[in-house]
Amino acid sequence: MTPAATIVAQLRGRIEPLLPIATAVAISLGVCSLIALSVGLSPGLMFAELLKGAVEGQQLGETVARAVPLVGMTLAAAIPLRAGIVNLGADGQLAIGGFVAAIVALYLPAPGVVRMVMALMAGMAAGGVYAALAALGEIYARVPLLLSTWLLTYPAKGFCGYMVRTTFKDPTTVWPSTERIEVSARLGQLIPGTPINQSLVLILLLAIAVIFIDRRTSAGYEIRLRGYNERFARYGGIGLPRQTIGVMLASGAIAGLVGAVMVLGSQYRYTEGALTASQYSWSGTLAALLAGGEIVNAIIAALFFAALQTGGFAMERSVEIPRVLTMVLESVVILFLAMRGAIWRRK
Amino acid sequence: MAFLEMIDIVKRFPGVLANDHVNLEVKRGEIHALMGENGAGKSTLMSILYGLHAPDEGHIRLGPSTLFLKSPLDAIASGIGMVHQAFKLFESLTVWENIVYRREPRRGLFFIDSARACALVQDLADRHGLPIDPRARVADLPVGVRQRLEILKALYRDANVLILDEPTAVLAPVEVAALFKVMRNLAAAGRTLLLVTHKVNEVMAVSDRITVLRDGRVTARLETANTDPATIVRAMTGREVTLPTSRSRRETGNILLDVAGLRVENGGHAAVDNASLQVRGGEIVGIAGVAGNGQSELIEAIMGLAPIAAGSVTLAGVDVTRESVAARRATGVSYIAEDRARTATAGNASAVDNLAMGFHRSPPLAVHGLLKLDAMRRWARSLIERFDIRISSEKTHVGTLSGGNLQKLVIARELAHQAPLLIAEQPTRGVDIGAIAFIHGELLNERERGRGILLVSAELSEILALADRILVMYEGRIVAEVAREQADVTTLGAYMTGAVAV
Amino acid sequence: MSSGFFNATFFDQAVLGITPILLAALAGTLSQRVGLFNIALEGQMLVGAFAAVCGSHFGGSLEAGILAAVIAGMAFSALLAVGSAFLRGNDIIIGISLNLLAGGLTSFLLRTLYGVSGTFSDASMPGLTRLRIPGVASLDLLGQALGQQNPLVYFSWALVALTAVFLNKTPWGLRLRGVGEQPDAAGALGVNTTRYQFIVTLIGGGLCGLAGLQISLGSLTLFSENMTAGRGWIAVAAVMLGRARPLIVAAACTLFGLSDALGLRLQGEGLPNQITDSAPYLVTLAALVIAGLRQRKSSRQE
Repeated sequence: MTPAATIVAQLRGRIEPLLPIATAVAISLGVCSLIALSVGLSPGLMFAELLKGAVEGQQLGETVARAVPLVGMTLAAAIPLRAGIVNLGADGQLAIGGFVAAIVALYLPAPGVVRMVMALMAGMAAGGVYAALAALGEIYARVPLLLSTWLLTYPAKGFCGYMVRTTFKDPTTVWPSTERIEVSARLGQLIPGTPINQSLVLILLLAIAVIFIDRRTSAGYEIRLRGYNERFARYGGIGLPRQTIGVMLASGAIAGLVGAVMVLGSQYRYTEGALTASQYSWSGTLAALLAGGEIVNAIIAALFFAALQTGGFAMERSVEIPRVLTMVLESVVILFLAMRGAIWRRK
Repeated sequence: MAFLEMIDIVKRFPGVLANDHVNLEVKRGEIHALMGENGAGKSTLMSILYGLHAPDEGHIRLGPSTLFLKSPLDAIASGIGMVHQAFKLFESLTVWENIVYRREPRRGLFFIDSARACALVQDLADRHGLPIDPRARVADLPVGVRQRLEILKALYRDANVLILDEPTAVLAPVEVAALFKVMRNLAAAGRTLLLVTHKVNEVMAVSDRITVLRDGRVTARLETANTDPATIVRAMTGREVTLPTSRSRRETGNILLDVAGLRVENGGHAAVDNASLQVRGGEIVGIAGVAGNGQSELIEAIMGLAPIAAGSVTLAGVDVTRESVAARRATGVSYIAEDRARTATAGNASAVDNLAMGFHRSPPLAVHGLLKLDAMRRWARSLIERFDIRISSEKTHVGTLSGGNLQKLVIARELAHQAPLLIAEQPTRGVDIGAIAFIHGELLNERERGRGILLVSAELSEILALADRILVMYEGRIVAEVAREQADVTTLGAYMTGAVAV
Repeated sequence: MSSGFFNATFFDQAVLGITPILLAALAGTLSQRVGLFNIALEGQMLVGAFAAVCGSHFGGSLEAGILAAVIAGMAFSALLAVGSAFLRGNDIIIGISLNLLAGGLTSFLLRTLYGVSGTFSDASMPGLTRLRIPGVASLDLLGQALGQQNPLVYFSWALVALTAVFLNKTPWGLRLRGVGEQPDAAGALGVNTTRYQFIVTLIGGGLCGLAGLQISLGSLTLFSENMTAGRGWIAVAAVMLGRARPLIVAAACTLFGLSDALGLRLQGEGLPNQITDSAPYLVTLAALVIAGLRQRKSSRQE
């Protein structure tokens, strides 16, 4: 083969896998246009506002700030998916992590920075342990993770909500929330004038660590190979139950960490429903599915979704199109790809 | 005058000419054998006759009419029935439900008349001498009875031509004899039978005429009465293939595997019952038996893939009864699993990843839990070269490989483990004769090097060619141990059906 | 009697709680039997609940609401049907994305069609009305629960029996079970497996639409975001516990409905609703764990 032909062949190899995704995006844009038209809105104007709202000026900062928890939740979803496991309970793990972090940051008798670090670790531990419960349920009682993780979401949210309405309620507000965390225990601003805080660094480091583990370590190899063929993994000597627990611990811990950084970095208190309102776990799951669990692609999808959502806010303000349309857009992309069998072909 | 004719059939698949102007003539009421190696094109030809594939050229005549088969339904409507090698049965349903499926006798407009269905099935079974309990659940039936059920299914649909695809692969010798009797009865009653097989002795025993395929072309048309096995084999292989056999006695070494009083339970009953066996270095121990008599469960229990209810497994002097798969492999066993595509490889993963399995935690492929990607690639390349695996590069997904090449990949990896004990489960199933010779050669070499090998095979010929000692499993128990010198098909066959108790 | 802990209202609420789960679980049962894992029950219910409100509100009649709910449920399930039966996509992934799509789509339409976020309610909108069954209705403790329900409740009971008879006694039921167990074998005998899977999924969508209608128009007439609140997942659990056998599935649904009512009853006793709302999920999880442990134990002992 001539060098030119080789390059063309390589390019084709790179581009061809992206074709179904591009088609899916195009189709979901079309679907959203139809939906917008059907309720009397102009699609052109809508997408223009969406784009402007995502990257123009200050909005870029918003997008980055939004990308931080979203990438976190994407990692929480992608790690189990890599092994062929679905964790649908990230919302509950997020809530528990955020709640526990808030309590530690508020009441641990220690200097501010120590409290912050302990709060982050406690949030991770709480989320991880809660997710691992589902893993134990599958190992010892054969309760499918798909079901148990989802069902565990409600008690988690209910419990945290109950606590901030009773024991830990801030008596000075009407909201069901804890007291405000003092400045010394918070994650500080990273770039002044933007909502970007130090959690960006944490999530960035986390993403690098996850990519490294996935590609360069024996543990990552074992997770990947299980995702390809679970029977083969077992035959080859990979301890599946232990791995399930490990993967769910990691996934839940990351969700818990996201809850903790949201509480310590931007909300400064745990308010019932506030962490899950933006539905980061929802978008994170979709981003991970879109990438078929592959970590780097999942992060790229998450960044795309973050821009979409920031744009959605702007779109809602300027042309009064509800921003949930962006969520419709996200799920139509995945739906289309899944239907085509382009990702996660039926076994 | 031919009753069934396939005329000038051509079928191409991407990169393969599976049938190259094949002509097949079958007389009414005869048992006609279609022979050939794996990949000779006999499955394709029968798929065309059964409407699963459309031929690119040529046509089919049955009696006075030309058939245009768009699907198996057309074939069934024309009176052609097929018993597939892998049965197509609903295990949770009863015998009668399987037989009347989609042709149910009704009571009123909306309901199945189950009483009449049972009576119909009973009558059908009686008429053809194929005894079966219509109300039995298929899951509870032994393999031989399931095959009977498949034949009844075809007869219920008025099959005049019955295709039997490798029907004896799953049967014990006694059951084979019973099947042949049924076949002769059906032929005597005017039905036409097509027997697809690669086993020469069976063809000699039961068929009237033979058509042999090789590389998609007919190489011989023979009258069974006027031919001999050597002629058939020459037509099938085009050469004198002699498979390597072991005739040299050699000193055996230490005990590498000691299984004592092993019991494995499966759905409440004992799949393996009080099994004991030993394998020493430098010997091949064969386990013969009809598929489904506990061999898979025994191997899984030895490997740590199935829970052990009682008894012990000792590898190289270490009791591993309660150990994990990884610990057992580390103690000294490697394993060529029966199902290479489902169990022993990951089709969507590269050859690098597939060949690294089990080596991915220790040097040279990994150091302190970190993978050495270059070393992994080099490792894969070296194995691909040494075992002559036909693959475009080490990054290629192994799901694209042919059966023989995929099996070589599995064998390459498992031999590379250099474990003192090797378990080989159906190592040559579904691969062509060249690959069989290669694999047998490798197993014998390993034996010469002092490795102990536990060989499970449903092919008695394979066991007889390779094993030094032969154990026979029947209904979960090891019912006999025979030295190779004393072993022959008749005695082993008797043990395999439980006809002789120990 | 009616003043005790388990009073007439308790059983009435239990029956009301059972109905949507039961309808969805029957849809799930049929899907399971035809070889598809339908975890999109939740989303189909939500879409049905919203469509029911739209139909009833804009059409001005309950019939319009029913029609809208059934059609919307079927249309939504058609995505699963096309994706998994025809295009061989992964049913689990399609199910997850359908559930997420249902949440986004109904929230979006709630905002654009009714201009509200959160909840839309209109007391004048026609909803399901109770039907008195003479005799049964005047029973002391269970009269309200068993004899004064809306027609959809009675329909769901009839449907349990109908499904059981259909699956076990009719030719189509036999073929359907065959398709679910061994599609190859069924196809080889001339059953169009894709068509069976497609039709069953559509019927399931219609049932889920009705389940949604029971939630939005069953007692109050309103729609609020994510008002199905995991009932579709509980239905999936019921199918699993009942091993896709209609009568056992119905029994599991009854257990979950009772736990729902128990939560409401405890709330009446002063327990905070954040805790009592969790009751059905915890009971479902407990049932799954107990069933799993028992199965494990029995397979070890036998």
